[in-house]
Amino acid sequence: MGIEWTDFVTALEQTLTMVGFSLCFSAIIGLPLGMALVVTRKGHILENALVFNVLSTIVNIIRSVPFIILVIAIIPFTRLIVGTSIGTSAAIVPMVLSAAPYISRLVENAVLEVDTGVIEAAQAMGATEWQIIVRFLLPEALPALVLGLTIATIGLVGESAMAGTVGGGGIGDLAITYGYEQYDYHVMFVTVVILILLVQFIQTLGNLISRRIRRR
Amino acid sequence: MITFENVTKTYHNGKQIVHALNGIDLTIERGEIFGVVGFSGAGKSSLLRCVNLLERPTTGRVLVEGQDITQFSKAELRQHRRRVGMVFQHFNLLNSKTVFANVAEPLVIAKVPNAEIRKRVMELLEFVGLADKANHYPDQLSGGQKQRVGIARALATRPSILLCDEATSALDPQTTSAILSLLKTINREYRITILLVTHEMSVIREICDKVAVMERGKVIESGSVFDVFSNPQSDITKNFVNSVMHTKIPESVQRLLSEPEGGNRRVYQLVFVGASATQPVLFQAAKKFNLDINILFGNITELQGVPFGHLLVEFRGPEREINRALTYVREAQVDIQEAVGYGH
Ligand SMILES: Nc1ncnc2c1ncn2[C@@H]1O[C@H](COP(=O)(O)OP(=O)(O)O)[C@@H](O)[C@H]1O
Ligand SMILES: [Mg+2]
Repeated sequence: MGIEWTDFVTALEQTLTMVGFSLCFSAIIGLPLGMALVVTRKGHILENALVFNVLSTIVNIIRSVPFIILVIAIIPFTRLIVGTSIGTSAAIVPMVLSAAPYISRLVENAVLEVDTGVIEAAQAMGATEWQIIVRFLLPEALPALVLGLTIATIGLVGESAMAGTVGGGGIGDLAITYGYEQYDYHVMFVTVVILILLVQFIQTLGNLISRRIRRR
Repeated sequence: MITFENVTKTYHNGKQIVHALNGIDLTIERGEIFGVVGFSGAGKSSLLRCVNLLERPTTGRVLVEGQDITQFSKAELRQHRRRVGMVFQHFNLLNSKTVFANVAEPLVIAKVPNAEIRKRVMELLEFVGLADKANHYPDQLSGGQKQRVGIARALATRPSILLCDEATSALDPQTTSAILSLLKTINREYRITILLVTHEMSVIREICDKVAVMERGKVIESGSVFDVFSNPQSDITKNFVNSVMHTKIPESVQRLLSEPEGGNRRVYQLVFVGASATQPVLFQAAKKFNLDINILFGNITELQGVPFGHLLVEFRGPEREINRALTYVREAQVDIQEAVGYGH
């Protein structure tokens, strides 16, 4: 069973599609979720024990389910959302579901790092809660947020490999089918190199952007 | 201008209860620089933060220009906070934004038009001497420069009150002086009432008109800086005054005093204002009543621009003549206290 270079290109495209889309969606969910985990905690600007505990528990529950089990467990849900339970788009659903809570924790950490003095200054100048979040917490946390999203993106590259289980395709899937199941070490070697380069690229890009924001 | 009426503040730290303010009654008049001094943990910051409700009093009222601010709605409170600027010990600037953007922030939040913001920010940066640093980031500035940005930011919305929480405590002495004189300029030129808290008596001496001494959530002494410095009542206040006035008699002098001597001898502490007047008065007294006068120890500092000093003076001679000399000196507006423990 031969393999062409175009197969690698297709696989890379699939990986980038899965990672790109799931990063987008999980950031859209994870960012507000992480911010909510910060501002509703005790002593913070929108303290609300109920909201905080509910959100935190949900995040913990999803985070504790191994990804591969999540993929299978939510197949009905996936079918509901994208109309199918196999293929690249079907892989994106569990990836988002697993990455969003993860990102929310990274966001939470990044925002908690912001000096509480900055919040005080904001309050002292008469800022609303919304202004504090958007004009103070977000910009101050941004460099750390970018680094957090970089970590999450690399995590998604790893998850995309396992998404092969539901026919998502991608580089990781190639490595597993050819390398792991058929002992084709050449293919495995090439895919691993591609993955290393991809991860390297993402990390470098993330560092670069974070540094740019930190010191414009 | 600002009135605290029986204000208390209690913090609950888990099971621990901290009474940070224990019934504060205090009035700060319009246009004055009012200093609150006390050791760490005395409740100074809690008191200050009740003026813009960064901390809400547990009981009691805080009146600002006659209005009970504890009754304000959220929107009213935000408006109120625009009339009260705040300067912090650690500056609390946004590291992600330029000096310009930091100073502009209160105006952006208040939805002031852009053109107006530009004008106001440049005016403020000019005033604090940082116009050339508008496009720098806070981490490119020295501590003193950061505090200037903090002050410019606090003044952006043209407040009538400025709150300073240990505004110079993170700065070296020289920078401290510069920042204090800037605060004084703000007070004099813009007629802004300044309430500042500090653990350093030198800050009080340098710029304050009035002072309150705090200990364990209570104001234990207050009054004009002059009165408190020249006539401190409590031990804590005396210690604070001593820390900057050096009125404490050195041990070497004390030893000298405790040695037995022949003849009648009395030692007095003279507190005087305006250095020029005192010494001639003393020497005139000596001549007039035929006494030996010996200045054992002395210290002169400036309080609100007026020389202010202590002299430890030994009078030798007949008791009756000493008493007449004391009356003579008192008439020259010199306050005389017997130096306790060093009589006869
Ligand atoms: N947010 C808070 N939560 C709990 N305790 C506090 C809080 N703020 C201050 N305290 C306590 O209240 C007391 C007075 O603190 P503070 O007003 O900061 O004093 P100061 O500014 O004079 O050092 C201290 O014992 C301090 O530990
Ligand atoms: Mg304090």
